[in-house]
Amino acid sequence: MTRDSRGNWFLAGFTLLVFILLYGPIFVPIASSFFALKQGVVNWQQPTTLAYVTLASNEGILVALRNTMIVGVSAVVCSLILGMASALYFNSGRSKGRALLQFIIFLPFLMPPIITGLALLIYFREIDFDRSLVTVIIGHTVFVLALVYRTLLVRLQSLSRSLVEASYDLGASGFQTFRYVLLPNLTSAMIGAGVLAFALSFDETMITLLVTGTDNTLPTRLWAMMRLGFTPDINALVAVILALTTLMCLLAARYLMPRESTGT
Amino acid sequence: MSRRRFKPATASSHWPATGAVFAFPIAFILLPLAAFLAYSFFWTEQGVMSYALTLRNYARFFTDPVFLPVLRQTCVLCLEVAFLTVLAGYPVAYFLASLRGRIRYILLMLMLVPLLMSYVIKIYAIRSILGGHGALNRALLWLGLIDEPLTVFVFNLNAVLLTLTVLLIPFAVLPIFLSLERIPRSLMDASADLGASATQTFMRVILPLSLPGTITALTFVFVLAIGDFLTPQMVGGQSGFTFGRIIYSQFGTAFNWPFGAALSVILAVVVIAAIALGTIFGRDRSALK
Repeated sequence: MTRDSRGNWFLAGFTLLVFILLYGPIFVPIASSFFALKQGVVNWQQPTTLAYVTLASNEGILVALRNTMIVGVSAVVCSLILGMASALYFNSGRSKGRALLQFIIFLPFLMPPIITGLALLIYFREIDFDRSLVTVIIGHTVFVLALVYRTLLVRLQSLSRSLVEASYDLGASGFQTFRYVLLPNLTSAMIGAGVLAFALSFDETMITLLVTGTDNTLPTRLWAMMRLGFTPDINALVAVILALTTLMCLLAARYLMPRESTGT
Repeated sequence: MSRRRFKPATASSHWPATGAVFAFPIAFILLPLAAFLAYSFFWTEQGVMSYALTLRNYARFFTDPVFLPVLRQTCVLCLEVAFLTVLAGYPVAYFLASLRGRIRYILLMLMLVPLLMSYVIKIYAIRSILGGHGALNRALLWLGLIDEPLTVFVFNLNAVLLTLTVLLIPFAVLPIFLSLERIPRSLMDASADLGASATQTFMRVILPLSLPGTITALTFVFVLAIGDFLTPQMVGGQSGFTFGRIIYSQFGTAFNWPFGAALSVILAVVVIAAIALGTIFGRDRSALK
């Protein structure tokens, strides 16, 4: 018994160490954003919110933030519509076509993002589709579709078949059944999947770098800023982004977790 | 009666809807991948594209002394990353799985949350931690292990290895946790009742049963690591050249898209092979159960 508990303490300590390793890179920039910087070295004696003031007047970052929001919201809406349609279709029967559709949807999730990005880049050039925010939105939709589709399909399959049958027996049309029977049951899955998709889109860098024209999203803007050199407002931006992401994680957990724990 | 047979009826009357469902995935997933595959058989020289099919890009890959060694080096690097993440992830997954009640899921969530945090920011933060003035060097100085800041942790392959490992640990924890969680407690009790020590139970019951999840974790991490070009670009410096970076440079500075496409096809083959190996070994073991 004593040896067992000593082993447990070791495991707990090791787990704590891994947590520190995972959260360190997140908290260090946040902490240093509140202190003055001198030649790239943080002066821990001099607290300041100057970085946040500089950030708020940084035109490039504000534009990038707006672009990120546009792309994220559009990609979420597109992927929810497409994911819902695909999940309903897949769930409505069995065929080779359905299996193929599912395979195609999963492809960008299995392949490294660099391949998805390059494929789209080449394709857009060949069909003379100018690179813009639209191409970024398409790229992000392709990337998050698998996740949205999978989440909706799992929820759809967990619903009892008799719900739909009862609805049809009571004379509801296909659309009415979808609107009044399926949709209410799928709402929380849609919100959860949507938030998760938005979080993924918010942080997507590799595909965006490849398919964007001159427009920057936050990650690509950050990428450019960090490659050029160090500016103090990066840390402030990091803190803002992480606050937003944390909020999204909490939201996603709120809508996806309770059902999962009662479901299984 | 007719309503009861609604399934075949909708299937035939919804052809336009079916077409719409297929339209986007075909237009923006399948066709781009086809275009990309086709591109790898084109050839470009001094900015002039030749659309005649050729294997010259692939021939160049296999004959040039640069590319094969970089691919091998990158594969070794990503295998090392995969093994390191599993080495760090297994004890964590084991600890989480040994907990009871809600706390295990809360901790699991906390383990996964950093995955949704900005990738670029994490790379950047890890670079500053590993750097000359970073926390790591200051800790080592403070402990008296070194006399002056070390530069072996930044702008080389070590840096890429360490950074990728830290970034990808959660991807190793999750599948291992899921396979450990599925092992019934009665098996461990039975093993103990039959006189096995804790070590024997672990080696002969728990470890074999969690092997599929461990292999999935290795595959996951390997695939994610080999496709990444941001980390090596940012922390790799001049010497930390990886296959992903070479591909990326073909679309930037080198501007040779067909060759870049061919290199990516080779990357895709490596990834597919890794996934296939992972599936085969993962499945075989669970079949023994």
